[in-house]
Amino acid sequence: MSKGLDVELVGACDVDIRRAQNFANRNKGKAKAYQDFRRLLERDDLDVVAIATPPHWHASISIAAAEAGKDVLCEKPMTRFVAEGRAVVNTFERYGRVFQIGTFGRFGRSRDRGSIEKHKIMASGLLKNCDVVRMKKGGLKVRQWSGRPGIPPQTIPEHLDWDLYCGPSPWKPYESQRTGGTHRGYWDYEGGGMCDMGQHHFDPEQWTYAKDYTSAVEITPYAPPSHPEVTGMWSWVELKYADGFRFVMESGEWGPKYDRAPIRDVSINDLSSEDQAKIKAMPDPEPLLSFGEAVKQRKKAGGHAEAAHRAACILHLANLAIRLGRKLNYDPDKEVFVNDEEANRFLNVPMSAPWRL
Amino acid sequence: MSAKEIIKAFPDPKGGRIHIIDKEACEKAVGKILEGGGKTLRELVGLILEPGKGNDVQARHALHAAAIRVGGPKKTKVRRAFASVLASTLADGRPKSVKGFILRQLQVCGGPEEGAAIASFLTDGDEHLYEYAAQALEAIGPATVEHFRKAYPKAKGKPRLTVLQGLGVLRDEKSAEVFRAAVQVDELETRLAGLWGLMRIASGEDAKLLLETAEKEKGWGRIKATGYCLQLAEALAAMGKKKEATRIYQHLHNTRKGPAEAHFREAARLGLKRAG
Repeated sequence: MSKGLDVELVGACDVDIRRAQNFANRNKGKAKAYQDFRRLLERDDLDVVAIATPPHWHASISIAAAEAGKDVLCEKPMTRFVAEGRAVVNTFERYGRVFQIGTFGRFGRSRDRGSIEKHKIMASGLLKNCDVVRMKKGGLKVRQWSGRPGIPPQTIPEHLDWDLYCGPSPWKPYESQRTGGTHRGYWDYEGGGMCDMGQHHFDPEQWTYAKDYTSAVEITPYAPPSHPEVTGMWSWVELKYADGFRFVMESGEWGPKYDRAPIRDVSINDLSSEDQAKIKAMPDPEPLLSFGEAVKQRKKAGGHAEAAHRAACILHLANLAIRLGRKLNYDPDKEVFVNDEEANRFLNVPMSAPWRL
Repeated sequence: MSAKEIIKAFPDPKGGRIHIIDKEACEKAVGKILEGGGKTLRELVGLILEPGKGNDVQARHALHAAAIRVGGPKKTKVRRAFASVLASTLADGRPKSVKGFILRQLQVCGGPEEGAAIASFLTDGDEHLYEYAAQALEAIGPATVEHFRKAYPKAKGKPRLTVLQGLGVLRDEKSAEVFRAAVQVDELETRLAGLWGLMRIASGEDAKLLLETAEKEKGWGRIKATGYCLQLAEALAAMGKKKEATRIYQHLHNTRKGPAEAHFREAARLGLKRAG
């Protein structure tokens, strides 16, 4: 994060005050520990905030940080649900703050000649009847980050502000599995391995295939009924874009293999010789700025809010198809499901007061 | 077949993770729950226990799966029938934590018809029932707003703030006076919820109130209240009320002069530019 920036740690915040104190101590007593991020953000001497909470807090704290005039490096996945992402995008636009998501694969892709060529082909709109299918098989830690249902409530540790931990998510009785990494297995806080690993895998793909400003229009899952509280097993999800391009994720950990279409990448040879010449003549995309460069130059970082939001949407739409157990049709401009009122309830999930978008 | 038998199709990991699950068997079980109608659904709800009072993993999983699968296109009739019975179980003598789980399932499958049954918990401070009820009603949508209006005068403490926020979520223009009154109270988060509500209904006539309140707030309150002023200006500009938007932007541009508020001044400057 600090590459290219002269950074000093001046504050650390965690709802578990012991963790905040331990982190603050990294700067030999010069940093102050906080349990409530609101008190941290009130400080006038902060320029940059790094957010590494569980994801149910990412959007609310990112928004509050931008409102307080800070730039933000936010861990992935960017959000817990779709509407949060749009609110983050709007807020960072409003205040001209820098946002960078905590995954960096797209920077390597943006310097790779093969990826640049694919990016240009897909961005050009010259590819008709696109039958490209990109699959991510495995690596999504489905078993590892599935949750444990039915754990009895436990006593809240004295050093933990449990109500503030729950924050915008529905309050639930405390049990330790809901914190400390295993939070990933609970819908209230994250979305299993899909959300934990998905932004790493699909953010670079999204850049390569020029999908930073749109989302899928059809999402088809194969999964068993989901548990209400914890994430679980699934087989595959196909996300089809308006141009015909498809992302497929196959867990490789449960159920049948994906067999709806052959896997194939885009190639310059998919175009006529005339169109190939147009691609060769196209300028390369602008180099992506690192977080440090973006902060110094007051420009958008490579993993800016809109791109991060669209990458997070890949995971959210896939997870919603898994949870709802049906094919979903999505309007990527309005960011709503088409003719599915019950599914839309999961796109803008009500928050617990006083937290709101 | 009894609900107790039906839910055996769902996995019971006994404290572990759900790694083994038979999709077809679970889907068939959901079909049987729905075929069984109200009797089977009531039996199934009867299998939900208070947290820590026994193993009900299969029952919760089955009830949720059914609540999810009655939703979606062209299923209105089956969803309504299911939600109606489910909402009726809220009136039974069950532990409040179980009612909380039922409310969360109604958030998924309930409709305006279930509004009254859900809303009876908006003022109930136990087990966060007010919160679950509010979120279910907010998910169902604007048709439920009357329940928030009725509950607000009766709600105290945390439920009151939650109900106030619900009125804002549903952009209730008829609650403008409620929002204005909330802006005058001593408690910061209530004041902010009131300001947010006025911003949500794009109340141009309250621009002065928002700006004056934001001016008086300090720290977190000033950060959030100023943000609501900017969002109100954006909403007014989008409605074509450029003069009103310009007044807000101009005020913020003139008053946010310190280095810690330079981003507010810059946002206001850009707003002025956009408004012409």
